[in-house]
Amino acid sequence: MLAETHLFGFFALAIKNLLRRLVRTILTTIGVALAVAVAVSLAGFVNGYKTAISRSIDLLGFQVMVMAKGCPYEAATMMLKGGTGLLYLPISTFDQVSTDKSVSAITPVFIGVAEKEQTSIREDAASSFIVVSGINTQSFTEMKPWLTFQSGEGFKGGRWFSDGETREVVLGYEVAEYEQRKVGDTIELSITPAGALAPKSQEFNVVGILARTGTQDDGTVFMPLARAQEIFNRPDQITLVGAKLREFSTAAIRQFEERWLSLPEVQIVGLQQVKSTLLSLVGTAQIMIGAVAAIAIIVAIIGVVNTILMSVYERTGEIGIMKAIGARRSDIFELIWYETLALCIGGGITGVVIAFLGSGIIEYLLRRLIDVGVQGDLVSISPAIMGLSVGSTVIIGFFAGLYPAWRASSMRPLEAIRSGE
Amino acid sequence: MAEIDSGITEPLISVTGVTKHYLRGSETVRALDGVDLSLYPGEMVAIVGPSGSGKTTLVNTLACLDTPTTGSVRVNGVETREMSEDELVSVRRGFFGFVFQKFYLLPTLTVAENVELPLLFLRRPASRRSTISLLESLGLSSRTDHLPRELSGGQMQRVAIARALIVKPRVLIADEPTGSLDRGTGEGIFDLFEDLCQQGLTIIVTTHNLALAERAHRMITLEDGKIVREESKGSQRS
Repeated sequence: MLAETHLFGFFALAIKNLLRRLVRTILTTIGVALAVAVAVSLAGFVNGYKTAISRSIDLLGFQVMVMAKGCPYEAATMMLKGGTGLLYLPISTFDQVSTDKSVSAITPVFIGVAEKEQTSIREDAASSFIVVSGINTQSFTEMKPWLTFQSGEGFKGGRWFSDGETREVVLGYEVAEYEQRKVGDTIELSITPAGALAPKSQEFNVVGILARTGTQDDGTVFMPLARAQEIFNRPDQITLVGAKLREFSTAAIRQFEERWLSLPEVQIVGLQQVKSTLLSLVGTAQIMIGAVAAIAIIVAIIGVVNTILMSVYERTGEIGIMKAIGARRSDIFELIWYETLALCIGGGITGVVIAFLGSGIIEYLLRRLIDVGVQGDLVSISPAIMGLSVGSTVIIGFFAGLYPAWRASSMRPLEAIRSGE
Repeated sequence: MAEIDSGITEPLISVTGVTKHYLRGSETVRALDGVDLSLYPGEMVAIVGPSGSGKTTLVNTLACLDTPTTGSVRVNGVETREMSEDELVSVRRGFFGFVFQKFYLLPTLTVAENVELPLLFLRRPASRRSTISLLESLGLSSRTDHLPRELSGGQMQRVAIARALIVKPRVLIADEPTGSLDRGTGEGIFDLFEDLCQQGLTIIVTTHNLALAERAHRMITLEDGKIVREESKGSQRS
């Protein structure tokens, strides 16, 4: 039996019609699915990238950074992903800013870049650089209270180094994973001190491995501030001063800026401002990405309309017969329309599944191909994106089906039967 | 020829002065040329004539599948000539059942689904038991779940007849129903028509086969769009 109800019956008939030309139906569905997969992946990327940028900046722990003069966004990017071309401040800057009464917490940070020794078993970790942070453990951990040590086999007894200690380091999660290091192991870093031409290799004891934070801290080797200054041959220099204000507002940050911009060669970077600027840049890219996705979907929809029109022409005689045996114009319209909707919905759902299953691969490729600069999931396909995509294909199918359905329903039965012979 | 109850006087379908002209290139073809005809409940009327004589055009006009150029077509007392396509569908739905020479079964549907298809369009509930019962009466009970391609020509035509009968029509229009069938199968189809007629169904059938046409209550001969002879039980007029 076709169906107990006419709605289900029409839908069953539509599906049977689509299955008649299985290869054509599959190819058309794949066309829609790929277009939707592209759209969903791009939307997932924008969503994930925005979230990752936002999270990475939030997890820096600082509200404002006092840094050497340069591009503030480059400075923020450097903080997010490490990098070269570092500029330094005198340690006295930290002492001066510490006296500011609006500051609730403050920490000095020295950042340097070391070359990794090629001891990793992982190919992708070989011959690359590693960020070294010299910190004051007490003020740094006050700023980032979420930092904890990795637990479990090989990580037991993890702890921060004492500030006066010269041979101890704490590894971020990813460094430990790439370098296959556990607590109690040693790690060799090749560092070129300021003013020297050749790198100098030094061995350190790993006293702790941090749990994953999803931030740049995962890829950092931490050591005492004084030790970092010493091995990079930059005594009394720091890279930045990170601070939290008692009152976090645009006005408070502006006042803070006004007070300390008088220091020579210093810039104040408000991370909230950086975040909104970066997000707005992503928003601009989103428009381009949306246009690409829209073109892909339009091409797929043209394929759907073409397929259904071909199917209508092939079945002209049958449509005539259906009209002769009692089908109204609206019945034929409904039937052809369901066929278009079924193709679009099928393609939409398949596309979402492809995008969802392929998001890991896309993430891997993106990270391999471009320096994304943020931690965390780059492609985040939320239920809202999936729902919106399937919903959009339904709406597009709704409109795409109108013309073929109108063409089919407008046929006069006798002419249709004759032309189908 | 079979007998028909002559006590019924109100025609089920009547056409008066019907013409159907159409252009073929620059030439005007007169497919029907002043046809007058009335059909009564329970009779079987055979329309015969050479190819191009207007048989199909006449049955299509009687069945409201086509509209005449001039003249009147009344179905069940209702004038249909000025009706729109949707109005004609309303007249056709459930009143006529159609059987065509080429069967026109939907290839993706099983025998039972093909038979039940008109019910879907008429928003009537389909009962598989009734469908099977109908197919049994046509000798197709073992073919219910078969696809049309798995049937012989005679079986396909009987499925098409079942599809026409499922809506319990008042009139069965059969255009060359035996044209694609061998002689024996064609006779079987006419046996079936006679049975249906005895049950009260009005049947209009076109055929080239005079031997089969003579089994109808009336035989109407068309030539060049005109009725040139009308024979009924025991009488003949030109």
